[in-house]
Amino acid sequence: MASTQTNVDLNSAASAGTTGGLLVSLVALSQEAFDITLNNLSQAFPDETVLVATPDVAPQSPANSLRLLTYSPTNVSTTPWILTAADYLNTFKVAQENHATACVLLGPEAQSVQPAAIRALAKSALQSDLTLARYELGPREGLVNAAILYPVTRALFGTRPRFPLAIDVGLSLRMAERLATVGQRHTSAGQNDALLWPLSEAASANCTIAEVDIGPRTLPQPVASDLNAVLAQVAGSLFAEVDAKASFWQRARGVQPAHPTVQSALLTDSPSDITTMLDAFRLAYTNLNEIWSLVLPPNSLLGLKKLSLTPPENFRMPDTLWVRIVYDFMLAFRLRTINRGHLLGALTPLYLAWTASHLTLISHGTAPEKHIQELAVAFETDKPYLVSRWRWPDRFNP
Amino acid sequence: MWQQVELALRQSAHRVLVKLASFLPGLVALLLAVIVLTAIGVGLAAFLRRTLTAAKFDERLARNAVAPISDWSPANSPTELISRVAFWACVLIGCFIGISAFDAAYPGDSQISAFVLPYVTHSIGAVLLLIVGTVIARFLERSVLIGAVNAKLQYARILSLGIKWLVLVLTAAMVLDHLQIGGGVVELAFGILFGGIVLTLALAVGLGSRDIVSRSLERSTDLRSPLDHIPGDPDYKAAATPTETLRHF
Repeated sequence: MASTQTNVDLNSAASAGTTGGLLVSLVALSQEAFDITLNNLSQAFPDETVLVATPDVAPQSPANSLRLLTYSPTNVSTTPWILTAADYLNTFKVAQENHATACVLLGPEAQSVQPAAIRALAKSALQSDLTLARYELGPREGLVNAAILYPVTRALFGTRPRFPLAIDVGLSLRMAERLATVGQRHTSAGQNDALLWPLSEAASANCTIAEVDIGPRTLPQPVASDLNAVLAQVAGSLFAEVDAKASFWQRARGVQPAHPTVQSALLTDSPSDITTMLDAFRLAYTNLNEIWSLVLPPNSLLGLKKLSLTPPENFRMPDTLWVRIVYDFMLAFRLRTINRGHLLGALTPLYLAWTASHLTLISHGTAPEKHIQELAVAFETDKPYLVSRWRWPDRFNP
Repeated sequence: MWQQVELALRQSAHRVLVKLASFLPGLVALLLAVIVLTAIGVGLAAFLRRTLTAAKFDERLARNAVAPISDWSPANSPTELISRVAFWACVLIGCFIGISAFDAAYPGDSQISAFVLPYVTHSIGAVLLLIVGTVIARFLERSVLIGAVNAKLQYARILSLGIKWLVLVLTAAMVLDHLQIGGGVVELAFGILFGGIVLTLALAVGLGSRDIVSRSLERSTDLRSPLDHIPGDPDYKAAATPTETLRHF
């Protein structure tokens, strides 16, 4: 499995090939999934002793040299499709109690992670503070990550990992402690399901960051089928994180070395979802224009007007327009121009418009990853616009 | 006789002027009280604004997601909200003091403040009701509009306007009732108007969601007819698999 270190830490003393003091933390899994995961772990670490922590009931005779530890999580997450503050906090507590030096946190559907990928993640966790998984996704998957999460974290925090909200994470003990501290703030306020952003924490603490190719993996989907609610949760959490780390990302920093891009399969058919998304966007343009005008400048509104009149086969949202939309919404989130719930609800149709544009583009032959990387570059290029408006909001009020 | 008419006119003019003259000190006292307390309110609001800004009150409150006060007044920060509340409280106190001073300065046993003050209190309550009702109407209008648009409802705008006017009509009726204006006429008019709006919304939702209901019913029945599959036919090819599901996450 390919592994790339995106930051260099000359003081790293971890030795390759050993799993000394490694903790593998699992989330709650079904019995069948748990058995498969244990089997994969025993294949990944045939000769080493690895501590495996699980909230599930462990078998009486664990496979090979796995040391199974059943723990009762003090904080329970009710969001089963993603890692939350409760998961990070539970992991650190178990690691601290068992004197682990590094943790590998495997998220939901962990049985689909191959043994080689687990081993690569563990090896990287011993060498870097933060290791994030990189997944092989199809052209119609991980669209929110492609549209917002990856470009924003790359542009603002200077980090390259492709999946900022990866559900398979490798952590050094100090990184686990840092994330647990942040998670504690949320769980003490009763927000066990709050999302944490390990990349921004690692970047702001100058920790080493690495990325490991996991290969194909079953990614769990949100239980709630309402895109609006889930997008509001994820985007709202990201915007709040950007607001909290404003003093860090406003300082100029260099670009980290690029990871070789993995070309995903091209879209061969013309999906009917595009028509649905375009209808949703046009309906929103008719009804939400006055709300968008409170957030977006005239240029962006003009761009949206042109888009609303574009026929479906030529529907193409310019990357610069999408960048400005995301940045302006981020600013409105910070300034509370309108109620935050309303603001994030008004973002959904615009995201659907970007998605329709992305799918149309790749159905015409553009490689999906190429478009996503170009979008990320556009976010980086337009960062000064965000910084200016962040510092002097009154001067650029739409 | 003309002398008597002239005498009567002179005496009544004198009485009115005397009454006006005795009314003036009370009026000046009222105005002075309002102006002085307003000035104090301005100073207090500025002081609170500076103190809370220096103490980063907005940022501290924003970290505590349990108390999203600023979400209810989105254009204002909590600091601004507190300073404005302090200002208007001082203005109100000035009005009360002014009315009491007017009553004290006015000679005689008229006891004006005995019936003016309760009505002023009712009026303030009515104004607060109106403000709260308007804020709630705006908030609900926007919530319903965004929710309906994201649910791809074509009548989103009508629905949101209907909700807004429902709340506004209810607020207006409560305000008039609080001020004891109109009595039964207001109640009847409110009932007719409210019922009319509800009926309009029901018709709009019912007629507009016929397609949604029929699609929902179609989805709930199994449309895969067993005739599609012809067992034992070597040339039969199964229908094309559905396109890959769109996954946003």
